[in-house]
Amino acid sequence: MDWNFFVQQLVNGVTLGSVYALIALGYTMVYGILKLLNFAHGEVYMMGAFAGYGILTAFGGALSLSINVVALIVLMLGAAMLGSGLLGVVIERFAYRPLRNAPRIAPLISALGVSFFLQSTALLLFGADFRSYETYEYIDLATGVHWGPLNISVVRIAVILTAVLLMVALMLLVNRTRLGKAMRATAFDREAAAMQGIDVDRVIVATFFIGSALAGAAGVMVGLVFYKVYHLMGFLAGLKGFTAAVVGGIGSIPGAMLGGLLIGLGEAFITGYVSSTFQDVFVFSILIALLLVRPSGLLGRADIQKV
Amino acid sequence: MHGSKRKGAAAFAVLTIASLAIVASAFARVDAAPTATASATAACENPSIGFMGPITGDAAFIGKEQLGFSKYAIRKLAGGKVKLIEGDTQLDPAQASTVGTKFHANTDILAVVGPAGSQEVLAVAPIFKKAQRLPFISGSATRTSLTNGSIPSFFRVVPNDSVQAPTTAKYIRQILKAKDVFIVDDQTAYSKPLANGVQSNLRAGGVKVTRNSVNQKVTDFSSLVSKISDDIDVVYLPWQIAANAQIFGQQMKEQGKKAVIFGSDGVDSGDFHIAGSYISAFAPDIRAIKGNAAFIRGYRAKFVSNFGPPMYVATQAAIAAINKACADGDATRAEVQKNLKATFIPKSILGGNFQFTTRGDVKGAKFYIFKLGAGGKKTLVG
Amino acid sequence: MSEVEGTPEGPKIGVDEWVERVEERTGLRTGWTAPIVALVEKIPPAGLLALAVGATALVPFLSSSDYVVRVAVNTVLFALLAVGLNVVVGWAGLLDLGFVAFYGFGAYLYSILSSDQFGVHWPTLLTIPVVVASSILLGLLLGLPSRRLLGDYLAIVTLFFAQIFVVLTTNADRITLPWNDGPTDITGGPNGITSIDPISIFGYDFGSTRSYLWLSLGVFTLVVVALQLVNHSRTGRAWRALREDPLAAEAMSMPVNRLKLLGFMFGAATAGLTGTIFAAVQLGVFPGNFEVPLLITIYAMVILGGAGSIPGVVIGAVLINVSLELLRDPAQARFLFYVTIGLGLLALLRPWQKLAAVAVGTIVFGFVAYQLAERLRPAWVSGSISGGRGSDLLDGWVIHPANSTHLGNAGFVLLIAAVIVISELRGVWRTVLLAPTLYLAAFVWENRLVAEPSVTRILLLGALLIVLMTWRPQGLLGTTRVEIV
Repeated sequence: MDWNFFVQQLVNGVTLGSVYALIALGYTMVYGILKLLNFAHGEVYMMGAFAGYGILTAFGGALSLSINVVALIVLMLGAAMLGSGLLGVVIERFAYRPLRNAPRIAPLISALGVSFFLQSTALLLFGADFRSYETYEYIDLATGVHWGPLNISVVRIAVILTAVLLMVALMLLVNRTRLGKAMRATAFDREAAAMQGIDVDRVIVATFFIGSALAGAAGVMVGLVFYKVYHLMGFLAGLKGFTAAVVGGIGSIPGAMLGGLLIGLGEAFITGYVSSTFQDVFVFSILIALLLVRPSGLLGRADIQKV
Repeated sequence: MHGSKRKGAAAFAVLTIASLAIVASAFARVDAAPTATASATAACENPSIGFMGPITGDAAFIGKEQLGFSKYAIRKLAGGKVKLIEGDTQLDPAQASTVGTKFHANTDILAVVGPAGSQEVLAVAPIFKKAQRLPFISGSATRTSLTNGSIPSFFRVVPNDSVQAPTTAKYIRQILKAKDVFIVDDQTAYSKPLANGVQSNLRAGGVKVTRNSVNQKVTDFSSLVSKISDDIDVVYLPWQIAANAQIFGQQMKEQGKKAVIFGSDGVDSGDFHIAGSYISAFAPDIRAIKGNAAFIRGYRAKFVSNFGPPMYVATQAAIAAINKACADGDATRAEVQKNLKATFIPKSILGGNFQFTTRGDVKGAKFYIFKLGAGGKKTLVG
Repeated sequence: MSEVEGTPEGPKIGVDEWVERVEERTGLRTGWTAPIVALVEKIPPAGLLALAVGATALVPFLSSSDYVVRVAVNTVLFALLAVGLNVVVGWAGLLDLGFVAFYGFGAYLYSILSSDQFGVHWPTLLTIPVVVASSILLGLLLGLPSRRLLGDYLAIVTLFFAQIFVVLTTNADRITLPWNDGPTDITGGPNGITSIDPISIFGYDFGSTRSYLWLSLGVFTLVVVALQLVNHSRTGRAWRALREDPLAAEAMSMPVNRLKLLGFMFGAATAGLTGTIFAAVQLGVFPGNFEVPLLITIYAMVILGGAGSIPGVVIGAVLINVSLELLRDPAQARFLFYVTIGLGLLALLRPWQKLAAVAVGTIVFGFVAYQLAERLRPAWVSGSISGGRGSDLLDGWVIHPANSTHLGNAGFVLLIAAVIVISELRGVWRTVLLAPTLYLAAFVWENRLVAEPSVTRILLLGALLIVLMTWRPQGLLGTTRVEIV
């Protein structure tokens, strides 16, 4: 089809992809340090989205907002990141720390336990109805970039920019700060790091806090751009984030970003040019092929196996 | 070190033995419940209605609302005599099948309300058909073939797809004068047959149809919305989740698509309020029916979708049938089924008098078309 | 010298302390579980199997309820799935997340070959070998490209496979085939395939639930015996070597790729076979039967029971499926809830004086709280505790407001916070705070959770998984493996 259609799908894909990338970052950071798949990550994202919704309701709801929109979004992001971050720390303390030296498969099940627990908690406290951020009530979606038949709303632009900003901040944190250095050291070799005097427990807690906070931010961003919030939203998003992390090369931070973008773009273009019915079949087939060519993911380093 | 390990092992042993003991004693309790072999006269001592629905899982928004309205009917109409026993199916036919066996084996249960999906009805049908046949009334299963006589004890309080699909297609073709229609189903047992029905009706009328489908768990429809070309007049969304249709509509606005959305009865909910859209619904707006104000106030909770109120009517019919059967002190399921067939609810909350056909469908079922105005205000247009 | 030997804790000469204590580290064979474990170990595996199968086969005679028999059938099917997954995960050490797809494939293939979907009605004795052979072939097809992948990369590719299976079965109801006019319906879409023929062997039609119980038990016995033989063969030992250290196994010139494929194929065969019984029991197949939640359930069974041990994964299957069924009933759930809390306290609180203090403290706290609430806010005790055995016992002790939803929710959040705080505390404060927390748990249960039995069921399953895994990370009957760094 025509050029506009292509660009439109590109924008759709990048929006979706930047959300996936934020979720994938949490997976990959935790994996890098603990070699552990945090399957409860999707639920942390869900709780973040609800935290943002709570802020929206506290300030009068979408229809009678009593606060400046920019301030509202900043507050939402702040509350969600803080709430999700703390939740991540609690999860680490109760579901993962007792299993630090257990077989690798054990934390998988305690993570699923956390997942079930958080989903049911949300169902109990917030009910089964779909909640909506109703962004269109307080932000005019017609404002934004108009370029011929092409439309990019201001919300989309804001979401993409926020995602980029958060990722740049994360890269700076990991590469330029003392904490980042400690994180990299711990990821490289936990025991050696401990011997160098790095407080490994603190590094792990910090990693969980940062990764979960990013998931919380992703929750609010999904609420802003796709509106719908409910108790099981974390499941599919978590799955996509996990996929993105693995495809990018699990453990690699730029890999997670790339993987997320790739899946978002893949979904948009498959729906646009091939079929929405079998979207998952095509996207997954491409990813399988990709993994067969690069068995350690796009940017993952092939593990040197120690004997 | 040594001591703590010992303690852990001891605790584990206690746990194992205790859990075995609990399992054994709890199953003894299951067995103490009346079973299918007990005498039928006992049924009126503790008459119950079984509720089946997706109370948790992806379709919890349907199940919770249905359960809420069933409980409301019990609270309001049963006078403490008839109890409700809930069973969660998660919209999974395997779970429905197990819950169905549980209900069938419990002789206190004289009728079942639910299950929600057509696939679940198909899964429990062989169980409810067995000796001591159990009558069941679904509040949302719309597949046409369910009432072709193959499931003798099945009733439903909603009209089936053979009513909705032609009404919808006719309106789109004749009133909206659409030439080019974009249909998206949501890959559920509810949506697909409906989309197929409307599609074949429209094609037969010479309307061009583009068919797509998208999983209902997806949160972003923008890449699908981009595919709607400028020639499309109407987008038909036979979806279960109204909130998804709202997202779809907003993303159409965002991308400057001018086509009109036409939603099915699943979309008939407060969650969907794109001005200028149309929806089909099996009841004239429940909130607008005269005399329903007190009913809605009495529900106490907010209700958004229209999955709930039909369940109220289903439970109402079941309670009436059980009370009538128990008037002489004992009741059988066959008696309850006979009474259900003769159900007559004057001025039901769904509007008009409510009766079943001999096959268990709604008598005189009709679909209404509404146009949505600003703020989701509904106007009857057909 | 002799003094040192006399003390069991002291170092021993000529004995490798670490090796000596291996039993102790695995946790089961010490303490007062030791005699029980020893007793169980004395029974040969065949006897254990006969005992388990025999006891289950008697269920229809012990209970006249069809539901109990159906739960038994479901449990045996879950046990079969768990045993099959155990081959892949527990023995070969492959993280296969596509396992349910084989189960679904078996069920769908059986349904297509024995229903009106295409008017094909093959005899069961022909269908089952065909289904098993096709499942093995599919396992091979999935295994071939995946054998290069390690760990989590293998997991994700197999997960894609499972997802693709569900998408295909959901949407293969309007497929355009080149040799057919118009769309062809292969899988029935979301409404699945129904009115499937019952399994029929040598002219005997299986129909009743109890006959399916005995059939599935027969299949279970065959599968377990076959897998036990494999496990003790060269292949079984090679799998264990592969699981413990793939690199070393390869260095010892073991055919790593072929072993992986074999693992996949055995798992696929078991799952496909189980699928056929499942389809016949349910008399229908639907895409909704084979989604990720089922996969999660089976994994939980295997890992909770102890990956690698057949009795372990079977116990895991029984424990999870039976507790999920028992939790359906609010009265039983309440019973389980209080008994579990009581037993937990019994196991954790030592000495008994402490336990008695907490118990008395909780009871007194409840009466005081109730009296206070009655005096100060009569509305807080105006509701009624919903029925079931033992509810009158709690009246006058548990505060129960008329409209309990909001207070119940607040109590729930508070309870989670209290549990977090208590587990961080040490010493006397922990004991002191335990009483109000226990009372709060009772309050939340009676006011909120009892009204939502279906949600509570999943909530408790989640809590159970967390507690059991942190308690015994290797699974109930699993053995601790030493991870070599």
